[in-house]
Amino acid sequence: MKGKARSLPMSYRLAVTSRVLAAVLGGYIVAALASVSLSSWVPMARADAVVTGMLTSFLAYLGAVIWCFACRTALRAWLGLALPCVILAVVSGLAYWMDRT
Amino acid sequence: MLLALLLCYAGFTALCLAMDRHHVELLGRKASLRRRQGLRLAGWLLLALSLWAAVATAGWESGLVEWCAVLMLSAVLLVMLMPYRPSLVLSLAGLSLLACPVALLAQ
Amino acid sequence: MKEGFRQAMAWLHTWAGLIFGWLLFAIFLTGTLAYFKDETSHWMKPEIPARSVSSDVSLNVAQNYLEQHAGGASRWLIELPTAREPGLSVRWQQTPTQRGERGQFTEKHLDPQTGAEVQGRESTGGEFFYRFHFQLQMPYPWGRWLSTFAAMVMFVALISGIITHKKIFKDFFTFRPRKGQRTWLDGHNAVGVLVLPFHLMITYSSLVIFMVMVMPASILVSYKGDVRGFYDELFPASTTPQLSGQPAALAPLAPLLEKAREQWGDGRVARLTVNNPGDASASVVLVRDGSDRVVHDFGSAVTFQGVSGQLLGATPQASLPRAIAGSFFGLHMGHFAGPLMRGLYFIFGLAGTAMIGTGLVIWLGKRQLKHAKAAALPFELRLVQILNIASMAGLMLAVAAFFWANRLLPLGLTGRADWEVNAFFIVWGLSVLHAVVRPGKQAWFEQLALAAVLFGGVPLLNALTTSYHLAVTLAQGDWAMAGFDLTCLATGVFFAWAAWKMRRAGQVEGVSRPRAQPMALEQEAH
Repeated sequence: MKGKARSLPMSYRLAVTSRVLAAVLGGYIVAALASVSLSSWVPMARADAVVTGMLTSFLAYLGAVIWCFACRTALRAWLGLALPCVILAVVSGLAYWMDRT
Repeated sequence: MLLALLLCYAGFTALCLAMDRHHVELLGRKASLRRRQGLRLAGWLLLALSLWAAVATAGWESGLVEWCAVLMLSAVLLVMLMPYRPSLVLSLAGLSLLACPVALLAQ
Repeated sequence: MKEGFRQAMAWLHTWAGLIFGWLLFAIFLTGTLAYFKDETSHWMKPEIPARSVSSDVSLNVAQNYLEQHAGGASRWLIELPTAREPGLSVRWQQTPTQRGERGQFTEKHLDPQTGAEVQGRESTGGEFFYRFHFQLQMPYPWGRWLSTFAAMVMFVALISGIITHKKIFKDFFTFRPRKGQRTWLDGHNAVGVLVLPFHLMITYSSLVIFMVMVMPASILVSYKGDVRGFYDELFPASTTPQLSGQPAALAPLAPLLEKAREQWGDGRVARLTVNNPGDASASVVLVRDGSDRVVHDFGSAVTFQGVSGQLLGATPQASLPRAIAGSFFGLHMGHFAGPLMRGLYFIFGLAGTAMIGTGLVIWLGKRQLKHAKAAALPFELRLVQILNIASMAGLMLAVAAFFWANRLLPLGLTGRADWEVNAFFIVWGLSVLHAVVRPGKQAWFEQLALAAVLFGGVPLLNALTTSYHLAVTLAQGDWAMAGFDLTCLATGVFFAWAAWKMRRAGQVEGVSRPRAQPMALEQEAH
C-alpha cells in the first residue's frame, strides 16, 4: 500500500472499488435485513422490538464492512454478504408468513 | 468523584509499575516476578475499589458514568505526566492513597 | 489483499481514516464546542441578562405573552430557565398547510421577570456549532445523512484501529516524546486507547440518535409503513389531539408544574408543549429536565387536558430497549452533566479530535518521508497536505473568526447572524487558498500563529467592544463569560506553542532529520 499511485494496476483499483461498494451498499442491506429479522422474531412489544432491531443493526453493518475488507477476494466480499442476506430474508419472510396465517 | 479518581490513579500507577519497561522508567530498576504480580493485583483491586466508590455515592446510573470518566482522566494524566515527571507520578500516587481516607470521610 | 487479517484492517483503518478524517475532525471539534453552547451563546449575546427566576413566575410570564401574541398558533413550546440557560424562550408553530408538514416556527426570548422581549444582538451563538456538527450546514436532510455516514466510518475506523493495534495492552501506558513520527503515533494511540470508552460511546450513540432516519426498515415492515404509528407507540404522551374547533380558555399553566412533580416523585420541568391552545381539545405536555438523569428522558412526560387540568397520561417506566436507546441519547448529549463532568466531556471530545488530527498528520508524515529528498511532493500528497492544514488549522481560524465577527459586526446590521456564519466559512475558505499557495510548513506556521493571535486576543477584543470584559465578569462571578474569555486565552497560548514547535521543527529539519526511522514504523503491522 505505497503511495506510488501511478504504478497500481487497474485490476487492483477495481477490486478495491468493488469491496467498497459491497461494504457500503451490501453492508447496509445486511444491516437492514438483520434489523427486520430481529424485530420480527424477538418476543417484545412491537415498538421495543423495532428499537432493538435498529440498535443492533449497526453491529451487523460493522461485521459486513470488516468482512468485505478481510476476505481474500472482492468476489468473496459480495458472496459473503449475499449468503447472510438470503438467510435473513428467509427468516424475515418466515415471520411475515406466520403473521399472515 | 474525588475518591474514585484517587483510587483510579493509584490503581493505574500500580498496573503501570507492574510492567517491566515502566518500572525501569519510574524506579530505575527491574522488579522481581513476585513484586510485579503484587503490583498487578493491587492495581486491579484499587480500580475495583474505585468502581465501588463511584457507584456507592452516585448510584449505578451516574456512578458508572462517573467511574468511566474518572478512569479515562486518570489514565491520560498518568501517561502524559510519566515521560516528563516520573517522580511526580509516583508521589501523586502515594498522595492519592494517603488522601483516600480523607476523601472517604468527606463524602 | 492477500495479507493477514490485521494487515487488511490496517489498510481499512488508514484509508477510511484519511478519506473521512477531515470531515470527522470538523464534526468532533464543533461537537466538542457544542457542550458549552449555552455559555458560548451567553458570551455572544451578552446583552441578555442572566437573571434567575422561579419556574412558576417564568411560566406565568410565558403564558401571558403567548396568549397575547400567539393566540392562533397550533402549538406553543415553552423552555423554562435552567442554571445553564437562564433565559426564558417561547416558540410557537403555525398550523401547517398540509398534514405531515412542519409548520413554521417563531421563536422569542423573554425576560423571565417582565415578560418583555429581550433582544440580544442577533447571533446564532453556540447553537451554530451544535447544529453544524450534525447538519454540516447542508439542507435538510442531507447533512444528517452525511454526518451519520461519517459516524459509521468512524465506528469502522475505531474497531479496525483496535484490531490493528497489536500491542494495545503492552503499549497502554506508552508515550515517548521527542521522537518524531514515533511520538505522533504514540500520541494517536494514547488519546485513542486511553479515552476509548468515550470514543466508542460518542460514535455509536450518534448512530442511535439518527437510527430512525437511516435504518427505518424494521419500522416500515413492522408498522406497514405507518411511521406515525411507531412514534405514537413510543411516545404516547406526545400525541397531538385533534382540533375540536370549539374555543375554550386555557387553564393557568403554573399549577401544572407541581402536579407533574407529584407524578415523578421529584424532578423539575424543562419545557412545556401546549397543543391547540385556545381550543377545547388543548393538551399540555410537561417534559422532565434531562439533567435529572443520565438516561435521556425524552419519554418522561406528563400530559394534562389544557382546559380542565385533568391528567391525561404519563409515560410508563421505560422498557429495556427504550432505556438503552435513551442512555445512548443521554450520554451523547450530556445534558445531565454538571460543570465538572461537562468539563470532562469537553476534554474527552478534544481527545477525540486530537486522535483524528494526529492520525491525519501521521498518514502524511509517513509518506512524506519517502519524498524527503524530492523537490516537491507528488500531487496526491500535496492535496492531503493542503486538506490537513485547512481542515485543522483553518477550521480553528474559522472558529476564531466567528467570535471576532460577533464582536466586530455592527449591532444593527440586517442578517447579522448570517454574516457571523459567513465569516466562519469565508475564513475557512481563505485558509484553503492560503494552504494552496504557501509551502506546507510555512502554511502551518502562519495559520497556527494567526490562530494564536486571534484566540489570545479575544479577551482584549471583548474589553474593547463591550462592557462585559474580564475585570467586570470576574468581579460579578459571571463564570460563563469569564470562562469563555480565559479559555480563548489558553487556546491562544496553545496555538502559540504549536506554532513555535512548527517553526523549530522546520529549522532542525535540514540538519539531522534524515535519521527518521521508517524501519521501525513498518514493523507496526502497517
